[in-house]
Formats: sequence, C-alpha cells, structure tokens
Amino acid sequence: MSGAAGRTGEAPVLHLEGLSRRFGQVQALDRVSLTLRGGEVHALMGENGAGKSTLIRLMAGLDRPDAGRMALDGAALPPGAPAAMRAAGLRFIHQELHAVRGLSVAENMHLDHPYPRRAGLVHWRALNRAAAEALARLGVTDLDVRRPMTDLGTGQQMIARIAATLIDDAGAGDRPAWLYVMDEPTAALTGEEAERLFEVIGGLTARGAGVLYVSHRMPEVLRLAQRVTVLRDGRHISTLPLAETGQERIIREMTGRDLSALFPERGPDPRGAPVLEARGLSAPGLHGIDVTLRSGEILGVAGLAGAGRGALLRALMGTLPRTGTVTLAGAPLGRTPAQAWRQGLAYIPRERRSEGLMLRRAITETVSLPHLARLSRAGLWLSPRRQREIAERLGRDVRLKAASVAQACEELSGGNQQKVLFARALAGRPRVLLLDEPTRGVDVGAKFDLYRLIRGLAAEGVAVLLASSDLPEVLGLADRVLILHEGRLAGERETAGMTEADLLAAIYGARAA
Amino acid sequence: MRAGLRRFGGLAGMVAIVLFFAVSLPDTFLTARNLLNVTQQVSMLAVVAATMTVVMVMGDFDLSVGSMASLAGVVAAMLFVAGWSIPAALAGALAVGLLGGLFNGVMVSLVGILPFVATLATLTVFSGAAFLISDGRTIFGRDIPEAFGAFARGGPQVATVDDRALLLPNLTLVALAVILVVWVVLEQTTYGRRLYAIGGNREAAVLAGVPVRALRLSAFAFTGVGAAVAGLMYASRVASANPTQGDGLMLTAIAAVFLGMTLTRDGQPRVLATMAGVLTLGVLDNGLTQMRVDSYLREVLVGAIILAAVGLSAMGRRGLRGRG
Ligand SMILES: Nc1ncnc2c1ncn2[C@@H]1O[C@H](COP(=O)(O)OP(=O)(O)OP(=O)(O)O)[C@@H](O)[C@H]1O
Ligand SMILES: [Mg+2]
Repeated sequence: MSGAAGRTGEAPVLHLEGLSRRFGQVQALDRVSLTLRGGEVHALMGENGAGKSTLIRLMAGLDRPDAGRMALDGAALPPGAPAAMRAAGLRFIHQELHAVRGLSVAENMHLDHPYPRRAGLVHWRALNRAAAEALARLGVTDLDVRRPMTDLGTGQQMIARIAATLIDDAGAGDRPAWLYVMDEPTAALTGEEAERLFEVIGGLTARGAGVLYVSHRMPEVLRLAQRVTVLRDGRHISTLPLAETGQERIIREMTGRDLSALFPERGPDPRGAPVLEARGLSAPGLHGIDVTLRSGEILGVAGLAGAGRGALLRALMGTLPRTGTVTLAGAPLGRTPAQAWRQGLAYIPRERRSEGLMLRRAITETVSLPHLARLSRAGLWLSPRRQREIAERLGRDVRLKAASVAQACEELSGGNQQKVLFARALAGRPRVLLLDEPTRGVDVGAKFDLYRLIRGLAAEGVAVLLASSDLPEVLGLADRVLILHEGRLAGERETAGMTEADLLAAIYGARAA
Repeated sequence: MRAGLRRFGGLAGMVAIVLFFAVSLPDTFLTARNLLNVTQQVSMLAVVAATMTVVMVMGDFDLSVGSMASLAGVVAAMLFVAGWSIPAALAGALAVGLLGGLFNGVMVSLVGILPFVATLATLTVFSGAAFLISDGRTIFGRDIPEAFGAFARGGPQVATVDDRALLLPNLTLVALAVILVVWVVLEQTTYGRRLYAIGGNREAAVLAGVPVRALRLSAFAFTGVGAAVAGLMYASRVASANPTQGDGLMLTAIAAVFLGMTLTRDGQPRVLATMAGVLTLGVLDNGLTQMRVDSYLREVLVGAIILAAVGLSAMGRRGLRGRG
C-alpha cells in the first residue's frame, strides 16, 4: 500500500519557495510560496491562466522555475528532474487526458514508473495485476486492463489515470507516495465516478497522505478541502483554512469581483417554433431517438457515462454515421460536418485537444477553420486582418486570456483552450449550438459569462443542445432535459422547479427501469 | 471484428502469394532448398528492417541505413587491406555503424531536426564517406580474407538432399539473432515499451516524465548498428565491398515495416509483423525471378503490391474510425 506516510511519526512537508516562471510576455508564476503537508486536502484555486498547472508542472519536474526552490522536510529537491520528484513520493494527475495509442490500459497506467520485471524482462502478469488492483481500489473490477486504452471512454480513461497514481511502486530508498497532485481530475467524470474518487481521497488523507487538488467545481472543493490557496495572475493571493472561508470569498479572491449567483437570471420563456427535428435517429451507441429542438430553447441532455450523450451530438453533427431523418428548419440536415457547419450547426466537442483545437497553430486559425468558405471573399481569399478581428472580438466575448490571438493554442491554459472552442462555435452565427461538456475546465467567473452568452444567444432564437455531466449546469441553464439511457430516450422533463436530487433520481431511475 | 478481418485480409494476401508461386513453380518453389535460400536472400533486409522498426515505433525514420550498410562494408574491407584481423575489422565497422547511428540520434533529438531531413543528409554524408575511403573502387579478391567470404557460404548442415548437403545459412542465423534481440528489446523491456509510448503519444510520454530525448537518441543507435551488420553480411556474401552495394536496402526495409503494420492491431510497427513483410517481399522477389519476370517489371509489380496492401489497410482503418 502506498500513502503510508506517517511511518516516521511526523507528516512530511513540502515547501515551495518563491517559484517564478515566465513565458515570453506572460509572467505565469510570480514568486509563489506554498507549504504542503500530509494528511490534508489542499485546494488550489484560480481563474483560467492563473498559473495552477504551471506550478504543478514545476513540482513534477517537467519544467524548471526561473527562480525559487523546492524542499522536502528541509532537503532541497533538484529542479527539472521528474524521477527525483517521484522518488520524493509525489504523484501527479495532469490536467489533460493523455492516452497512448497502441498501449494497453495496464501499460498506460505504468507510463511514469518502471514496469514490474522478472530477470530484467517485463513481467506482464505482475504488470496487469498491479493495474487491476489499483483500479479495484476505485471500484472498477470489470475492466480488462489488457484492452487498448484508446478503446475506453473519457471517463474511464480518467479513472485509469487516477488509479495509476495508486500503484505502489516506490523503489528501494524512495519515499512511499505521500502527496497526490490532481489537476482537475473530475472534469471528465460522471457524478458516480467522482464519488469514488472522493472516497479514495478520504482514504488517502486518513492514512496521512496529502492531496493538492485543483478544480473549478466549487461544491467539490468546499466538500473535500481543509485549506485553500488562491492564485491570481501568477501571484499567490491567500492561503486560508476552508472552514473560515466561504464560497463568496474564494470567488472574490480569484476574480477580484463579486459574483452573487452562479447562473444568470432567466428571462421570459424564449421558446419558439421547432428548428431541429430528429426522428428515429440511430448511430453507433444510439437507438431510435426522437428529439425536437425549438428556437430559443436550451435542451439539456443527461445520463450516465455511456448513455449516448456525446453520440447524440456527434450523430447530428455528422461525425458519426447515422440513420433516421433529421431536419433543420424543415430542410434535411447534411450528413457531413462540413455541411452541418454550413447549415448553421456549431459544435463544441468533448475532447478539446483531439477533436477541436489545432494545437500548434494560432488561435485565429482554429476559430475560423469551419467558417473559411463563408468568411472568405469569393470563397477563396480571407484577409488575415479580418480573420484576426473576428478572433479578437469573439475572444473578448468569451473572456479569453491570451497574449494575442496569434498565440498557439497549446500555450494556453486548459480553460482558455476551451474558450477558443467557444469562440469557434460562435464565429459562424449559429442557428443551433451543440455543446458537449462546454465548460469543462472553465473557471467560475468565466463560466458565468459563458452562461450569460448562451442565454443571450437563446434569447435571440438560437437553439441549444447541452450535454453535460455537471448537473447544476444542466438545471441552471436548460429549459427542458432529455434523459438518455444506454442509447435510448428514457425520459423528457421540464426543468422548472426541478432539483438536483430530482434529476439524479431521473437518471438513476432510467437505469432501474 | 473489422480489425480482425483487415488483419486476416493481409495474411490471406501473403498466403495467396505463396500459393500462387507454389502452383506456378511446382518443382522448384516449395522445396526446402529454395525456402532456405529465400531466408538467406532476405537476411540482410531482415536485419535492416528489424532495426528500422525500432525507430519507426517512435514515429521516426532512418533514411541513411542503405548508405551506412555500404560504408560499413567498405570500412571493413579497407581495414582488411590495412592488415587488421577479421574480428578487429568487424568491430571497427560496427563501431562506425554505432557512431553514425548516434550521430543521427543527436541530430534528431538534441538538435531537433526532423528525422526525414537529418537522415537524408547523413545518407549523403555516409555515402560520400564510403566513396572517399574506397576511392570509388570495389575491393575484392586477395584483399578480402578467405574466411570472411566463406562465412556467408557456410552454415550448419540440417539434412542431405539428392546427395547434396542442405545448409542452414549462417546469414539466416545472424538475422534470426538480430530479430530476437530486437523483439526482446521492443516487446519485453521497459525501454522498448517507452519507445512505443513516444510513438503513441509524445505529449503523454513527456508528462509522465519519460526521458524522450535520451530514448530517441539511443534508438537511432539500433538502426546504425543494424545497417552496419547488414553491410558486413552483404560484403561477406559477395566477398567484396563497394560504396553502393547497400543502396537498395533502405526503401525495401521501410516498405517491409509498412507491410507489417497492415497486419497489426491498430497499425503499429511490430518486429514480427515486419518480418512477415520481409518474407513477403523476399518470396515475391524469389518467385518472380524464377518465373523469369523482367527485373523492371518485377519492380513495378512489387511496388503495386505494396500500394495495394497498405491502401487496403488504410481503407479498413477508416471504416473502423467511422464506427468509433
Ligand atoms: N508553454 C507555454 N508557452 C507560453 N505561455 C504559456 C505556456 N504554458 C503556460 N503559459 C501561460 O501561462 C499562464 C498560466 O497557465 P496555466 O496553464 O498555469 O493556467 P491554469 O491556472 O492551469 O489555468 P486553467 O484553469 O485554465 O487550467 C497562461 O497565461 C498561459 O497562457
Ligand atoms: Mg490548468
């Protein structure tokens, strides 16, 4: 078992002192100091681009600070040395999902530590057993760890990443794992999966291990953490016991402004005539769905993992082959993504890095890609200036934080990458917005602005299909919600007056039925 | 399902090729002697393709292997001329392969030049060096020790057929040894699995703390040494060395890896699959030669078959993704 940290009596202490890191014009971290101990959950909060992931990358030895130092129980740790940080008992779950194509689940779970060996060669049975045992601790017992990782859904991949940190592999002379650093671990999880993670976190801290926990989901933080540190623009703002700090105070320190509600007020019911109608829609993982989406309507899509939320959007968008009839304002909807974009659908995919962004290219290019034909003169020539202006205007609308719109997407913080996709979806003045986990990794303040933006679009008549595992989000935004279960429509409810418990009951009820 | 079909299709194609020659050349093709002969003919290609697989699992290429093979042969021959013993000369040639490979690795991983560009440049460098040291001549005859040429002609006897000894060629044994080493390294060591991780998702490997640069650098040593081994095998077989004799190896080796990739689950390079590709190419060459197909036509046919195999597999894969 790992996490048995209290062995020597005192809980270990990791000191980060005056860490700074600059990228070109951006001071991503500015003399940040932090003390982390075993036995508690320490939340790290901050707006998108505040420097959280940068700090974590320094702790993991993946990047070197320009100034500052790290010390474990008083002994300095070398910068830029991943192996040394592992040996110091640190374990990491980085922000983005990274599955290695072609390797099994078990192998993917052993990416950051040596494989078990026998006579110098890989001991495959021990490898698979270690992976299966770690997964079992998260309650997953029915997963064949020899399957390719990329066959798994995003939630399960995340579970496997989390489980990987629980594999006990401390080498001789290494400290047993005692500090688990998690950068938005729940962003891709369903409520049920997240619950299991929270149980494991409880178990770890009870055994004396510490957790540094990054999340933009307030309720989680309030529930898990004993202490919270807020970063803003790369600077350390405060570290306080959570008991003395309310949600309002945290948000104020993160954003520098007051946010009384998490969701914008509802106006008069904006729903109009049907815009998008699907009859008998089937696709891989989807069986005979009937949906009617009206102009101005925000229609939520809820369900357990694998219920077909994502598949529904992808089938409409044409990235999954489909059967059945789908009409947009009476006319048949095209079957390829290119046709769908042209007819006025806009899509935010769930996997921003693999399905949406051109990581190495400028923000402007991702934003305008689906709209090139319409934006350019005679379908041929799009002036770079016009392209830049569009990206800048939309970037402001979504509160994008970037050095300039010429910056490469891969240099942006996770939440800001998500906002680039929002800008892309809005660039074509869509008639229908298909959103798959649209605010994943977006900070509270920016979320509020995005919600207001979505509401505003709906008020202008845009129809929105919102698939989300964030139940408050579904309830706070949607007028009506579809419940999916194993690819079938299991229910359809107005959200007015509905509570989170009601929605959960409906989702699980669908399973029982 | 579909993946199985696709892989099965590839295998079926290879079996069909063998059957075709078996029927067309009933007396000569499916004989132990001819098949052993095929293994000897492909042994150099097998060595180069196996080590090429090592860099290709990372998504890299090494275009310099052909000229490295020539260079190694020429170096060994010149060392013979200078009076070195066989083991010393072989060690010298292998050291040149190792250094050349490491040089490629430095260019690709530390300097950061695309493998295509870096190894295209070293292809020219190695080739030029081979011409320089040999003066552009073929080194043969008395300059090459008897035992060196005899090695390729020899091998343990496995049977006697028609009063003639049937030998398991030494070159085949060398190739098998190299394949075994590469298989163990790629499939059974953490090192090899890390190379696959780099090829499968470079960023994931970086985030997991995998020392990507060091691994990429070292992997190119395999292709360098493999090419040198193949060059020595070739020189032994023809008991001579000239600065162009390895030239054909590079394209064929890459083709063999690609053919192999059509056989594997999710299209990864794997060394045993590469060997299936090598054997297919070897059988094609052997059979078409026996059928007296014109050598230019043979090249056209082989190219067309590679295109067909890789193209069909790509189409199968697209079908898969559509379902995904
Ligand atoms: N490689 C890089 N090149 C240039 N700028 C970078 C690079 N990495 C990070 N940055 C910048 O550093 C700042 C901090 O980014 P970081 O990823 O740490 O934010 P974060 O707090 O994790 O945000 P999020 O909540 O969105 O994940 C951002 O402005 C980002 O654009
Ligand atoms: Mg981040």
